[in-house]
Amino acid sequence: MSAADRFKHMNKGFDLGQALAEADRCLLCHDAPCSRGCPAETDPGAFIRKLRFQNITGAIRTIKTNNIMGGACGVLCPTARLCEKECSARLKSLERPEGADSPIQIGKIQRFLIEHGWQTGFQVFEKPAARPEKVAVVGSGPSGLSCAAELAQDGYQVTIFEERPEPGGVLRYGVVAYRFDMAFLEKEMQDIKNLGITFQCNHRIDGPEGAEKLLQDGFDAVFLGPGLWDAARLKPDAPAIDGLYSSVKYLSMLRDGRFNDIHQKVKDKTVAVIGGGSVAMDCVESAVKLDAKDVYLVYRRSYSQMPAESDERIEALEAGVHYLLLNQPVDFITSKQNCLTGLKLVRTQLGAPDESGRRTPELIKGSDWVLDADIVVEAIGNKAEDASPQWYPNVKVNNRNLIEVDAETGQTSVKGIFAGGDIIRGPALVVQAVQDGKVAAKAIKTYLNKQEA
Amino acid sequence: MAKNAIDLSVDFCGVHFHNPFLLSSSPVANSAEMVARSFEAGWSGVVFKTLNSDRLPIVHPSPRMAAVDYGRKQMVAVQNVEQISDRPLKDNLTEFLYLKKNYPDHIIISSIMGFFADEWEYLAKVSEDNGADMLELNFSCPHMCIEGSGHKVGQAFHLIEQFTERVKKAVSIPVIAKMTPNITDMTEPAIFAKNGGADAISAINTVSGISGIDLDDFVPRPNVFGIGAVSGTSGPAIKPIGLHFIADMAKCEEIGLPLSGIGGIETWIDALEYILLGASTIQVTTGIMHFGYRIVEDMIEGLSDCMAQQGITKLSDLIGKALPNLQPTDQFDLDRQGVAQYNLDKCIGCGQCHIVCQDAAGQAIDWDIENRRPQLIEDKCLSCMICSFVCPVPGLISFKEMPKDWRRRETAVMDKNLENELEYEPFTKEGPHECTY
Repeated sequence: MSAADRFKHMNKGFDLGQALAEADRCLLCHDAPCSRGCPAETDPGAFIRKLRFQNITGAIRTIKTNNIMGGACGVLCPTARLCEKECSARLKSLERPEGADSPIQIGKIQRFLIEHGWQTGFQVFEKPAARPEKVAVVGSGPSGLSCAAELAQDGYQVTIFEERPEPGGVLRYGVVAYRFDMAFLEKEMQDIKNLGITFQCNHRIDGPEGAEKLLQDGFDAVFLGPGLWDAARLKPDAPAIDGLYSSVKYLSMLRDGRFNDIHQKVKDKTVAVIGGGSVAMDCVESAVKLDAKDVYLVYRRSYSQMPAESDERIEALEAGVHYLLLNQPVDFITSKQNCLTGLKLVRTQLGAPDESGRRTPELIKGSDWVLDADIVVEAIGNKAEDASPQWYPNVKVNNRNLIEVDAETGQTSVKGIFAGGDIIRGPALVVQAVQDGKVAAKAIKTYLNKQEA
Repeated sequence: MAKNAIDLSVDFCGVHFHNPFLLSSSPVANSAEMVARSFEAGWSGVVFKTLNSDRLPIVHPSPRMAAVDYGRKQMVAVQNVEQISDRPLKDNLTEFLYLKKNYPDHIIISSIMGFFADEWEYLAKVSEDNGADMLELNFSCPHMCIEGSGHKVGQAFHLIEQFTERVKKAVSIPVIAKMTPNITDMTEPAIFAKNGGADAISAINTVSGISGIDLDDFVPRPNVFGIGAVSGTSGPAIKPIGLHFIADMAKCEEIGLPLSGIGGIETWIDALEYILLGASTIQVTTGIMHFGYRIVEDMIEGLSDCMAQQGITKLSDLIGKALPNLQPTDQFDLDRQGVAQYNLDKCIGCGQCHIVCQDAAGQAIDWDIENRRPQLIEDKCLSCMICSFVCPVPGLISFKEMPKDWRRRETAVMDKNLENELEYEPFTKEGPHECTY
């Protein structure tokens, strides 16, 4: 299989028989605990029961009316620590090892139901009566799409502004395709487009007061969901080095038409990825799939402290990634031509816990060494663009340039401007962004109703 | 089509139900507190737990139920030895008043059972006087030993007619007669009920059965302190029996009464099957015992969506729609024959088709050991389709019709030479010709 093929499709989901068999295993709990485990208020207790009783259309409706990105969440959610963590079937196995059972695979059932809806042409939404109010949504990632869909379902006139050529945000440009493929994204996007939302792609909202001006340009409310697209860097002020990438750029290249460029760069080379989160895992595993000679994951803390999900960590290990734990990167080594040749590391040991409760890595004096590497990818976090506060100067932001909002409504310090997604909370889950968009949309409806009255 | 344009309401004996889904007379309809919750969940009416006149004390055996499991699957059937309501009559009637007061748009059907005509009449009258919209005459409880009660009446047809007539004379509300399946032909007692004046028939009550025997003490379940008893079996396992009796009555022109379908209903698909065979209302107990009142939500939503997708707005248009396609077996066109066909691209090589074809069918499937694949010998295939029932891959095995001139190979005789030793003359006497097999 060619490298390009390895990136085309994600793993197959359940078919109807498998989904029904899994639903059949569900205990159909009273006061279903799984339904309390979702940040976006998804109700697996209801949709699994509906599937179990052959009310498949109803099950799809339960998911989609609550979460327009239900398919994406079914694929991407770390369900093991959300809904599935609460599953009574799993608890049953803890209590009674002789009746061992694994949790119901809720994410896979959810994904199946959404795909089944596409296969059978079932349309969840009926055309609502159009309303006159116009809402601008900045950014077409999970929070923006969720906000737009929630409003459009009630007939509001929604326009989404997206700076990139295609909508989807992190789902299109930030996730590797073998975890979430284009065909799936396009189908989910179609569900959203069917709601009658206007998309203005290649349209960046920036410049002085750019976002705030939308309120004067005929929009009655604005939702800001631009996400975080700048990378945190080990040496922010260092000049550009050939072979050094941010995770944002590296992952974008896999999906925005530059796949062959990055493949040629990585093929047969030694790659080091700095970081211990889910993004770092996508970077190392994709480097293996790009035929790198060796792939190192460099992390300054221990295995158990890595923020990445357990299954992702194991998957990367199995894929052949070398884990370099308890190593702090301190510098990049370059050739005279400014090409990267290595990564300078210092070994660490864990000291006293910091304020977050995690033990702090402390450098071991004299232990510095150089890992030979041709490519280094920094996956140590995304941040807001430095200039972003200028686009909405009256909107209050914190010292990390994250927008401050009322947690219940997503309302910013400016009347009529709402925000959600990573721009309000820093890097977080897709499902959390979906919820932010929904919460803000509900608040926008209330706000607009009040304006009218 | 918009989902909210779907009309699930039905008129049953002139009574309007906002959907066809009712609780059947059983433990799930034992009190107003329970029934009220069921109404909140979406059920449109209730056949209340069968009233008694307080003349005889009612004591339920303990324990009173046992389940039939099948593999991992729990409760494919339930056997119960419950009696009619053990609550005082005036308590039950007070519950009617409460329900009518608080749920005036929901339908209360009073199930009654007497032991002689005066008692039937009395129960009918007090039910009507205290708000019952309809009556259901319980001619079918399988746990009565006294002649002239429960399914003993259902098996003594003249009593059905006699008691129905008495009740009809006493009340003006519609009267349903509930049939026992523990007979051969239900159309007969149904006609007796009609002659007695019944406005509708409901079926089926529980099927007499034994759910199992405890191998430690040889006591059939439920084990009531050392004694088991043949008693009523319900649940998904008996649905085929219920469908058959409803269809028989729907097809019987002499009956011509509205039907209420009961037996193994859990999903909207089960309900729709009863409706397509002629039932206009649906009653449920065991599904609720297993999963609670909440299943009605999925019956309503699933049925509405199905109708919307098929462009059918009124549920009443679906009643009896499958009946023209249901015919006696002598109506089959035996000139048309087919075989199983295999899409081996999907095959996972488990070989179950080979086993069942060898041991239960036409030995039409060879086994390719090398590739772990079945090989169909088409002209030996009996088209029983058992292989498709055991195949774990959906859509791998399907039925296909063969051309008119195609012939199935005759089953081979092991040793033709033994024909010489046969003691045999062909049967030559004339007989009826209607039956072709």
